[in-house]
Amino acid sequence: MLRKSFVLGAALSLNLAPAAAADLNAGQELYSAECAQCHGRTGRGTAVFPRIAGKTEDFVTERLKQYRAGETVGPNSALMTAAVNELTDADIENLAAFITTNFP
Amino acid sequence: MKRNAALWALCAAMSSTSAYALLAGAASADTPTLSYETVLTDLEDPWDMAFLPDGTMFFTEKCRGLSVRLPSGDVTALLGMAGTEGYATTADDLFCEGQAGMNGVAIDPDFDSNRFVYVYSTSSLTEPGSNRVIRLAVNDDLSGVSDRTDIVEDIPYKPEASDHPFGGPGAHNGGRIRFSPGDGYLHVTTGDIHGGHVPQSPTLLGGKVLRIDRDGNAAADNAPPEGFDPRIFTYGHRNVQGIAFRPGDHNPVISEHGPWHTDEINVLFNGANSGWDPRPNMAGRGDCPDDYCGYSPNQMEGMDPEERAAWMPMTDYETYPDAMVPAWENNNLSQGISGIAYLAGDQWGDWDGKLAVGYMGIGFGGTPPGQRIDVMDIAEDGQSATATEFPLPMESGRFRSLVMGPDGSLYAAIDEGDIYRITPN
Repeated sequence: MLRKSFVLGAALSLNLAPAAAADLNAGQELYSAECAQCHGRTGRGTAVFPRIAGKTEDFVTERLKQYRAGETVGPNSALMTAAVNELTDADIENLAAFITTNFP
Repeated sequence: MKRNAALWALCAAMSSTSAYALLAGAASADTPTLSYETVLTDLEDPWDMAFLPDGTMFFTEKCRGLSVRLPSGDVTALLGMAGTEGYATTADDLFCEGQAGMNGVAIDPDFDSNRFVYVYSTSSLTEPGSNRVIRLAVNDDLSGVSDRTDIVEDIPYKPEASDHPFGGPGAHNGGRIRFSPGDGYLHVTTGDIHGGHVPQSPTLLGGKVLRIDRDGNAAADNAPPEGFDPRIFTYGHRNVQGIAFRPGDHNPVISEHGPWHTDEINVLFNGANSGWDPRPNMAGRGDCPDDYCGYSPNQMEGMDPEERAAWMPMTDYETYPDAMVPAWENNNLSQGISGIAYLAGDQWGDWDGKLAVGYMGIGFGGTPPGQRIDVMDIAEDGQSATATEFPLPMESGRFRSLVMGPDGSLYAAIDEGDIYRITPN
């Protein structure tokens, strides 16, 4: 029983670790510099650029990694790949945390 | 992490022959300080505005329709598109897709007597969809519209996706409409719809500026080449989303989006070619994706804009030696140039009579997004210009439309959903 509690506690700590590590300020800086001019100040989308408000952190993370890998996901893939191809995993984590925290 | 503008972009900017004052302070001392007020907010892609002398403002939202804001501040929804609610009238054939939808709006010069307003909108009435210029009669209390007459029905619309950046349906849709205060004709700006053969086509109305009367008939003195549709005033354009008329002689001036390079401001002349020809197997080029070379030779990655321009020029002087010479090429950059308006009135100081130019901003391949408003001084011959960055009193945004209001202020619509009034003090 004691062992099970320890394992559960460790797992919870591991699950919480990424969110705790995300730097929302860094995510905000990235969003303002690289994302806001197309997706809008509040992520609601503009013109031909889709809404990203209301997405889950997993969704945002997966999409950013797909674009970074050069995958085609929609007609603006060239723009997205060019915008994110130098992002690190930490950058993506920070961006996803900022977007989902501030644009629920 | 990419957050730097590539060195070549800076070099290109610095080596350009067009002068550019990066700081407002570098401009003349006789320029106003600016304040702003948010006139409307939380709109859905506001696209254009048009004013009556008393301040009544008609405005469009790309996927919703036409509304009017009264001087009291009350807003009435007049003509809704398919799927909308709350409008006095709904037209189920009007739809939006990508860049297409309800775009420009203009008021008839004789509105007092005929009550006509006009919108440019995408319609499903003819396959595979087209852009139309629609004339409407507004009732006396500005609560509704009637007597719809489609005065132009055949401006091309892009119905299917293609293998290009921004390659979705509805791309390069043009859409600005303005009456000239000089000759009274309605000028209509269109886009090439990612169709390689469209801009130089004598019969297709994409990639053109049309000049027509209120019934849609060609202006009698339009002078396109023989065999062209007589409604065509100029041709060989890429995607024109701004038009204004020069103070004094009322010569039309346009803005058009560049292809990963070279946004342009052009002072038009009757019958002229703007020199955009993205057909494959032209000017030394081979085949291109989906028969459109507009982003080639490297359409999905960043590239030195000058090198790109040499391969696929915005104005191809070699093929078309008589093509119009642009007044402004945005230092070889493409940053989403859009609405333009001449500032008018003593309150603007040295900017009175200068052209305000809005940019929506596109950050791609090392080009800085460049969301801003420039104030541009265009030379008398229309072949060069200097630009000063407008010291915005509010946060920047995607400047879709700029319109002078009857109160002497500049009104700016941004895609984020706001319409601002920018007032010189």
